[in-house]
Order: sequence, then C-alpha cells, then structure tokens
Amino acid sequence: MNHPLMQRFIEVAGRIGAQRHLVAIRDGFVAIMPLVIIGSLGILINNFPPFGSFDLPGILNGIFGEGNWQKVGGSIWNGTFAVLGLLIAFSIAYNLAKSYEIDGLSSGLITAAAYIMLVPETPDWGLSFAWLGAQGLFVAIILALVLTELFRYLLQSRLAIKMPEGVPDGVSRSFTALIPASIILILVGLFQALMSHFAEISIFEWIFNIIQEPLQGLGNTLPAAMVVSFLNHLLWFFGLHGTNIIGSVIEPVYLPLIEKNLSLYQSGVSAFDVPNIVTKPFLDSFVFMGGSGTTIALLIAIFFVIRQEKNHPYREVAKLSTPAGLFNINEPVIFGLPIVLNPIMMLPFILIPVILTVTSYIALATGIVPKTVAILPWTTPPILSGYLVTGGSWRGIALQIFNLALAVILYIPFVVAGVRALKQRMETR
Amino acid sequence: MNIILVCSAGMSTSMLVTKMKKAAEDRGVPADIEAVSESALKRKLDNLDVVLIGPQVRYLEKKIKSQLEPKGIKVAVIDQMAYGMIQGEKVLDQALGLYKGK
Repeated sequence: MNHPLMQRFIEVAGRIGAQRHLVAIRDGFVAIMPLVIIGSLGILINNFPPFGSFDLPGILNGIFGEGNWQKVGGSIWNGTFAVLGLLIAFSIAYNLAKSYEIDGLSSGLITAAAYIMLVPETPDWGLSFAWLGAQGLFVAIILALVLTELFRYLLQSRLAIKMPEGVPDGVSRSFTALIPASIILILVGLFQALMSHFAEISIFEWIFNIIQEPLQGLGNTLPAAMVVSFLNHLLWFFGLHGTNIIGSVIEPVYLPLIEKNLSLYQSGVSAFDVPNIVTKPFLDSFVFMGGSGTTIALLIAIFFVIRQEKNHPYREVAKLSTPAGLFNINEPVIFGLPIVLNPIMMLPFILIPVILTVTSYIALATGIVPKTVAILPWTTPPILSGYLVTGGSWRGIALQIFNLALAVILYIPFVVAGVRALKQRMETR
Repeated sequence: MNIILVCSAGMSTSMLVTKMKKAAEDRGVPADIEAVSESALKRKLDNLDVVLIGPQVRYLEKKIKSQLEPKGIKVAVIDQMAYGMIQGEKVLDQALGLYKGK
C-alpha cells in the first residue's frame, strides 16, 4: 500500500494538521477545555437526578440553604461558558502570536479588548452575555486571527518603539506594543462606528447569521456526523492523528451546540428535550468508545476469537492495549496490531464507527435515549461516560452496551480473517 | 543525553517513556527522557540531543527537522510497531543509534 495518491493524501492531511492558523485555533480550544469541563461539571451537579434516596442537589441545598448551592454552579457557568467567546478570542490570539514568536500576552489582551469593543451593549450599559458567550465564537476566531496578523505586521514595521538596551524586559515589551495596539484599537473603533452607521445590526449578529448558525445547523445533522466520523477514521487509518487534524474545524461548530444543550439543561429543561443531538460528547461517548475506531470492541473481539493460544500476537497486543484502552487511549492497538495501513482492518475500523454514529443518532432522535448534557474529559471510561453524559440516565449506558455489542459482532469476522492471514504468512515464511 | 518524545497530548507516549526509562536504567545508560506536546517542545531545546516523534503526528517531522537539525539535534519518527507494542528497549535503541550518529 504505497500508492503515490496515498502519499499525497498523507502529505496534504499533514499540511492541514500543521497549518499555523488551524493549529492556533485548535490549541486555543484545547487551552480552555479545563474551564469548559468544570463549567459543565457545575451544571451536572446542580441538576443530577436523585439516586434512589440519595438526592445530591437536595442534600446540598439542605446544608447551604435552598438555591444557594446552585449559585456555585451558576457562577462557575458565568465565568466559563457564558464568556466562551471572550476566552477563545484571547486564547487563539495568544497561541497564534506564540507560533510567530511574538508577544503572545499583548496580542491576547489586544484581541480581548477589541472583542469587548464590538460586543453589543445592553440598554442599561451592560455587556450582552449572549454575545460574550458561544454565539460570539466565530467573531472571536476571526478577530483573533486578523488582529494578531495585523499586530505582527505592525511590530515588524517602523512604527514599533524600540527601547534602548538596559530597559527592563517587561517595560520595553509594553512600549513595543503601544503603537501597534493603539492603531489596532482605533481601527476596530472606526469599524464599529461604520457598522453602526451603515448597518442596522452588529458585526456579531451579522457573522452569527451568515456563518455560525448555518454551520451549526449543518453540524447537527446525521450526514455531518457521519462525515466527521468517517474523516477521523480515514486519517487514523493512515496513522495520522484524526481528531487533532479535524479538531480546528469541528470544535468551533460543535462547542456551541453542546453549550446550547447545557444552558437549557441548567434552566431546568430535561435532557430529553434539549435540542442538539450531534455534539462532541455524543461522538466521544457513544462512538469513540475505547478511542477512535471503537477499539475497545476490537479488543473484546480479539479475546473472544483467540481463546486457546495465549501467546498469539493479536492477543499479546490486545492484552497490552487493554489498560489504556479503558480510558480511550488506543495508540497501542492502532500501531501495534497494526490497524494502520492494514487492508483487513480498513473496512471495520472506518465503517463500524460510522454505523454506530447512525444507531446513536437514531436512539437520540427518537427520544429513546436522552441527549448529551455534559462535557467530560475524553478519557472518561465507557459506561461511566454514557451515564454522566446523559445527565445520569441508565439509557445512556444501555446505548453504549448496545453499540459495543454491535461493534464486537461486526469486528469478529475481520479478526478471524486477520488471524488466518497471519497464519498463512507465518507458514510461507 | 537528553531525549524528548513528541506526541499530541503527551498521553500515550508517557507509557512508552516509562518503559524507556526502565530500559535505560537496566542498561546503566545515563539518559533523561521526557514526553511533551509539540507546542511545549520549543521551551525544552537546551542541551537536547534527540527528538523522537510519535507516528500519529509524523506530519510534524519536516517542520521539527528543519528547526532542530541546524542546532545539531537528531530528529526521527518512532518506529510504528515498537511504538504500538510499547517496546521501550527498541525505541531506546533507536534513540541511542541516532545519538551515536551525531
């Protein structure tokens, strides 16, 4: 399997994976993940269903006074999800500037300031939370990329103040950034004035209406979920980090979708009635069990097919891969079996996750299983993840078990074929 | 000698690092081994001898090579099978081989 077309594919995918701006977007999202996960955890604790007689929110309210406990989760929400756009603006600008080896902190601060400048004001001179949060995500990304490029250009131009040697680093840095920062903010201010003069709506509403909302609508469909699943596994099949490469494209689309679910769940809507089916936690929990390729099912299939020969190479790999596999880390099985460029494993590895995407979508769309209302670390083991991600529903576990069983059955014939091929190769040797 | 392994989140590679450290200890090879993400690599360049790249981020090879080889740091992608089977010995051999060729 060393076709020139394939080499070309790997090269192109690699170039996308290492593209400066896409990497900055991806790393920007990675950087805010801790905040996002704790924000989601706050909501989950506030709304956790009673477990028999054990009612967590009830007990906590008993201790802190009715409603007071919920304020903890609520204020965590305000500091994390409610200002997602602002956080992302800073974080992407910082990362992009760092990749150019220019002052990341200044670039992040300038972008955050510009973002606030453009956020629509409320009538009583407040900032509109609606646009500080997930709805402003695309404006945040565009601002971070454009302003950091502008900042870099201005720093290299003659306008930057060069301080004499001997001036402390911090002082010299803030002066270096002074003129570029002033120019950028004046430009943003002028832009804002022009927008409000010539257009009836703010840049936020405009970008949201023409880019973000259509993309999200598209993202929340079954075909889109299947394409994401397919691409991820095609890349992994070639030994490339799929989730990493497509992350910069899918995070901006899928994070607002789960945010919508979370904010409604927080306000008391049940996990069945929140709107969005396809989210990142949806894929992580119901499809990528044991890692990309639902490889935990492959491990089970291997243990099932090879029961006698304790030292069979497949079994050895499976044994080695199991501990990490429980936490959705599966590089050992992907590279060790290997799955990468293995013609026998190509079909199941790419298609089983697509099939599970369909079954999961149907289960959620028909209302048999609640939708996703939590963001978990992607290393959360299956079963536990299915329970938590649906806001504490056994139906989430049931779907995971159904999907796992289906995947095991689908993997078995390919494991048998692989074992046979291996045996033939050994004998001819 | 200082060896750094680069992967996506430093997650799976850290298992390999543990095995490599043990292999180095058993053989009495004085080696400092660490796994980092690509973005953290820049801060680790002092006294670095060998950089090994995880096969899942092999597309970084060209970029890292062009940055580090002028500084005399050896760069290679980890052998895929050895990576998958977490064979610390083999990967350590690979690193030592690169170091000797320096």
